[in-house]
Amino acid sequence: MTIYLCIDDTDSIDSRGTGELAELIRDGIEQAGWGKTDGVTRHQLLLDKDIAYTSHNSSMCFRAEIADVHFDDVVRYASAFLEKESEPGSDPGLCVVRCDALLDTEALIRFGYKTKRQVVRVEEAYALAARLRIHLSAHGGTGEGVIGALAGAGLRISGSDGWFKGALPLRADTVMTVAELCALHGVEGVKLLDGPYLDGSDTVQFGKMNKAMLVDGKAVLLVTSASDGYKSCSKKQLMEHEESKLHVAFE
Amino acid sequence: MEFANGKRDWQTTGRIATGCPHFCFDTEEEIVAEDVVSCYNCRYRRWTSGSFTCIKQQQPAKGM
Repeated sequence: MTIYLCIDDTDSIDSRGTGELAELIRDGIEQAGWGKTDGVTRHQLLLDKDIAYTSHNSSMCFRAEIADVHFDDVVRYASAFLEKESEPGSDPGLCVVRCDALLDTEALIRFGYKTKRQVVRVEEAYALAARLRIHLSAHGGTGEGVIGALAGAGLRISGSDGWFKGALPLRADTVMTVAELCALHGVEGVKLLDGPYLDGSDTVQFGKMNKAMLVDGKAVLLVTSASDGYKSCSKKQLMEHEESKLHVAFE
Repeated sequence: MEFANGKRDWQTTGRIATGCPHFCFDTEEEIVAEDVVSCYNCRYRRWTSGSFTCIKQQQPAKGM
């Protein structure tokens, strides 16, 4: 079965980040032989004085294909991991969505986008999770991380939010065709920031840090036009691109 | 106290961070620009809706 596992609010200002803990949970699932996992994605949530985030209010999510019999094992493992590894003073939350049981995908995605634009209460998150048959649990502190955990799962399932943890291993100023990039580095497409996908024969010049974004459910490198081809977007451009989603009207 | 110049003043935040004993690059997934010493890239900045605050309280008078 396909699952999405998302965690939020596990860290303190001087501790390991939530992204690192998400990667460790991925490793644990694979090492136990319960299934195969995809890359971790980071999802920006609302920045508001009424929200008790550490410094950036983002949650971390990954997809996994696991054997049905191991769903409870994954939940137990991730829960115990968060209770052991989260920082004192944090408010960790865990969300695990099993796609075969999810009753209303659109409702979950709407919740994700809502938490990018509005302050949401814990009670609302629990009520939605119960209605949609999603595992949602708190593992310390106030437990308010459940809001971001549920939201992050919805945003990951939306297929077009956030970026993958880790930079692509590409040297600045080198040039490669789209086909080469996709074959060598697991990128599933190269797309203009606000335009179409490039062809396999198009060439891209890389910047200092090259990150894959979650676009159309795939790991996609976003680029801008350059005089002699295309250039990968800088982290700053990607940040601004993501920020623009915070200001889109929510229905 | 919130930094008064918002999220796009790379010049001021670069100068502040260069002289700050607490500056420390945030994790890769949270930095804003590659290899740039700036409060915007520091793990001790706390984003707000329009700007950031410094958790280490090392805010200079100018620009705040």
